[in-house]
Amino acid sequence: MNAAILTDTTKCIGCNECAIACRRVNHLAPDAPRRWDREDGLSARNWTSVVEGPHHTYARQQCRHCLEPACVSACPVGALSRTEIGAVVYDNARCMGCRYCMMACPYGIPRYDWDQPVPYVRKCILCYGRVRAGGQPSCTEACPTKATVFGDRGELLAEAHRRIAAAPGVYVNKVWGERDLGGTSVLAISNVDLSFLAPQHPAGSAPLPETTALAMHAVPFAFTSVVAAMAGLNWIIHRRMTRQAEEPDE
Amino acid sequence: MNRVHKLKFILWAVAGLAAAVAAARFVHGLGATTNLSDTTPWGIWIGFDVMGGVALAAGGFIMTAAVHIFKLERLHEVVRPAVLTAFLGYVAVAVGLLFDLGLPWNIWHMIVFWNPHSPLFEVGWCVMLYLTVLTLEFFPVPAEEFSGLAKVRRVLIKARLPLVILGIGLSTLHQSSLGSLFLIMPYRLHPLWYSPILPLLFLVSAIGLGMMMVTFESHTTAWLYRRKPETAALASLSGVRWVLLLYAAIRFGDLAARGQVRALAAADWRTVLFWLEVGAMAIVPALLFSTPRVRQTRGGQWAAASLGVFGVVLNRIDVGGLAHRANGSRLYLPAWTEVVISAGVVSAATLAFLFLVERFHVWEQRPADPGADPHRLPEFDKVGTTWLGVPGVAGRTVYSLGFIFAASAGFALLAPQPAASRGVDLQPVHRARGEKTLWIDGNLDGFGVEFPHERIQKRLGGDASCVKCHHMNLPRDRNSGCYECHREMYLPVDAFRHDWHASPAGARLACGQCHPQGQSRSAAGAKPCSGCHKDLIPAGATIQVKQYRAAGYVQAMHELCIGCHQQMAAAEGKPDFARCGTCHKERRGITDAGDLAAPAEGGGILLPAMSR
Repeated sequence: MNAAILTDTTKCIGCNECAIACRRVNHLAPDAPRRWDREDGLSARNWTSVVEGPHHTYARQQCRHCLEPACVSACPVGALSRTEIGAVVYDNARCMGCRYCMMACPYGIPRYDWDQPVPYVRKCILCYGRVRAGGQPSCTEACPTKATVFGDRGELLAEAHRRIAAAPGVYVNKVWGERDLGGTSVLAISNVDLSFLAPQHPAGSAPLPETTALAMHAVPFAFTSVVAAMAGLNWIIHRRMTRQAEEPDE
Repeated sequence: MNRVHKLKFILWAVAGLAAAVAAARFVHGLGATTNLSDTTPWGIWIGFDVMGGVALAAGGFIMTAAVHIFKLERLHEVVRPAVLTAFLGYVAVAVGLLFDLGLPWNIWHMIVFWNPHSPLFEVGWCVMLYLTVLTLEFFPVPAEEFSGLAKVRRVLIKARLPLVILGIGLSTLHQSSLGSLFLIMPYRLHPLWYSPILPLLFLVSAIGLGMMMVTFESHTTAWLYRRKPETAALASLSGVRWVLLLYAAIRFGDLAARGQVRALAAADWRTVLFWLEVGAMAIVPALLFSTPRVRQTRGGQWAAASLGVFGVVLNRIDVGGLAHRANGSRLYLPAWTEVVISAGVVSAATLAFLFLVERFHVWEQRPADPGADPHRLPEFDKVGTTWLGVPGVAGRTVYSLGFIFAASAGFALLAPQPAASRGVDLQPVHRARGEKTLWIDGNLDGFGVEFPHERIQKRLGGDASCVKCHHMNLPRDRNSGCYECHREMYLPVDAFRHDWHASPAGARLACGQCHPQGQSRSAAGAKPCSGCHKDLIPAGATIQVKQYRAAGYVQAMHELCIGCHQQMAAAEGKPDFARCGTCHKERRGITDAGDLAAPAEGGGILLPAMSR
């Protein structure tokens, strides 16, 4: 099963019950607006938030749990990993605090404990423990209007397309997360364009880890060829110089 | 004081200032001492210290390649200073990185936890290995002075060629991989900089920079120590112009291939930045090095090289953060504390460089201290018995003073900093105004709530209804206002004012009057407030105070009002009575929020920044 969340912004009333449930279940300390926050309401102590878009549309901001996450490929110590159910989780015992994941995430999701002397990266973990135990994430459980629901990714995608087809003219004909950057486990359908959730405006369906893969594959080849070239050049030049030095004697 | 002493004094002072900031950085965390944020998690410490530092240290592998592989013997005299600069440069990168990492004590994790997909993993490993190689390459120089190390020195000199080749391989990898780091951010980095061939651009510019850095450094130290510069040898390095022209060709060719040529003339400050950068790092130095009069004179070489060095470092800072599309509303500018740390790391590395060139055989001729008279006698203090040492090292007093005064100044400047930049803008609550109808606008932002106090009081049952809301009274007060305890807009605060109770100007209580003898003095064991204040909690109060910790004002107001409104909305069948817009008339967007009359079990409506 690939655990997934589908949010239908036409059903969201912006009540924030999802964010409150998330804070309760994940034992997040009380938060206040900070200098380092971004405008979308996420922080190290707020892993999901409700953002108001055009026409009073409310949309959920949270980790997309990409099928091929940029953060996982970027982390030099493997502190971030994609689990068997599709949740992208973080191991603070491995982290060294380089924040490359925060730079790499195209959605700008991971947040940092800027106020802590011992800071960690914080983000939604799709309630990995609860889901693995057979439950569902606290946010979908708490939603009073069933605007955000939990399920298998394939089934939720089918449901999303069914809803779009059933109400022509209501929805934008797109399931956010279906193919974006290789697809994500957090899906959304909406009556407005949801690009305001990702200010960097990532586009296309190619997964981001592919961008560095070529350069990383070239590493052993580049190293071997540079070392071989240097050794060869040195040998040739050395030989030529030795011969030149010998010539006058002959 | 001569040039060297003046410079060292300044460097020691900067290092002292940085030492104070460094202490604050580790005590208070990154948020209090930097302008980094969730929008810009990387700042000047990555852009300049790490990326610029690695590039500046490129002279090491370029010069060892030129002399030991290509046998350009006339450059032999600049190899040792180049290797030393590279060694100290990488040490500075590692030290600078320790300030930037959130968990610097975990830096060794890269050795045991592997993720070979990550360019940063590769950069980290290459830097670690290359620093080892550089140590082994430079070690024979100080080892000359110690006869006991002669054997080690002989082994290292024999191993020099493999070390040099290994160093070139490692440098090629990580100089280019620093560019690969940014391949994963196509939406973040500006299109004038983002390119799939960033690694190649980084490598070529690093080769150019390595050659120019050697020139720059040789001339600068020659001026500093009034040494004869290696102008003739360095003139052969003006071949750098071909590298720079190649770089410019690749850069513009890449822009054309990606269809970004039009961005070169866009009305954007980043276009200006691009031209400044490419002009300084490639075009102008290439032209200068092509002019015979420039490349054969000391001043010309120095000017062209320093312009190029500036340009490449600017390029690294641009790619590292400056040229990222601001994906929030704020533009990142480094805090003074960040600049001081960067400057301090550079100062410390420079001091180490000066120490090593004075002490060891780095140049053909060890520099004489221009201010010292070799025939002067050792100095004694005025009374005539205490030896003050050889005059040449007398500067240490001045240096120490510079360090200490600068560190003190740093602590003084920092004192208000951590408190002010914890990130929380404390918002004291302003009291509600009015009599029959209260205007509740705790943060005075104009979006207030009209609270018909008199009407609600009548409806709930007159004077007997006070306790339905007013659940705690200050001593000698009745029905204290909400803002008296809920003093902060968002944060929970302590309703109990400990300092006032203990103060001679306040309640003048001794510790033992509240905290029992023989127990640790904590809130848990202390006498409850009701032990003295009998009428603190009015009889029949609906809201039960469980702890003397007052919730944030917004939270307190919502929890007080919303519960009743929901009950009444349900009881009277009027869902409108429990909408956000029922009370918040002015706030845009809230008025037509959805129906909240039937929330989930245990529900209620709270703003995102609140806990239950």
